[in-house]
Amino acid sequence: MTETILILLIILGILSLEFKDLLNAVICLAIFSLLCSLLFYYLHAPDVAIAEAAVGAGVATVIFVLTINKTRRKEEVEEEE
Amino acid sequence: MKESEIVDMISRKLAPYILLFGLYLISFGHLSPGGGFQGGVVLASAVILLCLSKGVTQVQKLFPTEKISLLETSAFFLFLLIGIVGLLAGKFFLENFLPLGEAGEVPSGGFIFFLNIIIGLKVGAGISLICFYFFREK
Repeated sequence: MTETILILLIILGILSLEFKDLLNAVICLAIFSLLCSLLFYYLHAPDVAIAEAAVGAGVATVIFVLTINKTRRKEEVEEEE
Repeated sequence: MKESEIVDMISRKLAPYILLFGLYLISFGHLSPGGGFQGGVVLASAVILLCLSKGVTQVQKLFPTEKISLLETSAFFLFLLIGIVGLLAGKFFLENFLPLGEAGEVPSGGFIFFLNIIIGLKVGAGISLICFYFFREK
């Protein structure tokens, strides 16, 4: 179980780096945090798991999505100029 | 932003239970997994959920920014005050001065219970404030 989660974590990390669309990358990071908290729970650290699930999958994702909403892609800015 | 009835209904039904779970995490922090920081973040996530569905202006009628800001700043001084009371009782800074209850019950932690509540309120108020400003900025 631990090995499966670790391999998934590596795949999600590479995906979130490689995605061109930032929204996809943020969703990947949210799933990354969720799997991380599952891993912490399996390794008998429920305290850290709660913090990771609340901060990583909840608050940080909302802040990232809001930031993406309020910024524009570089290509769009160049087209307007 | 277009309003969605499903998101609206689910977040309104879910937010009180998330707040209750946050309070449980804070008040049982010294007995079970959880504590001030985790409970505070869970409290803030309920506020964020309401912001997502109803908009930040509606939520600020329930949680005014000035009061949240006051809570966030005064919690630090309350923390210091509790530490200094231990000093006045003839012990060290932040040393327990309350009688300990039976092991496994809520009062068994002495004054850690109060410290957890203060930390939880401070963290919850702080993260809620960050998200208020993020939502309002245009």
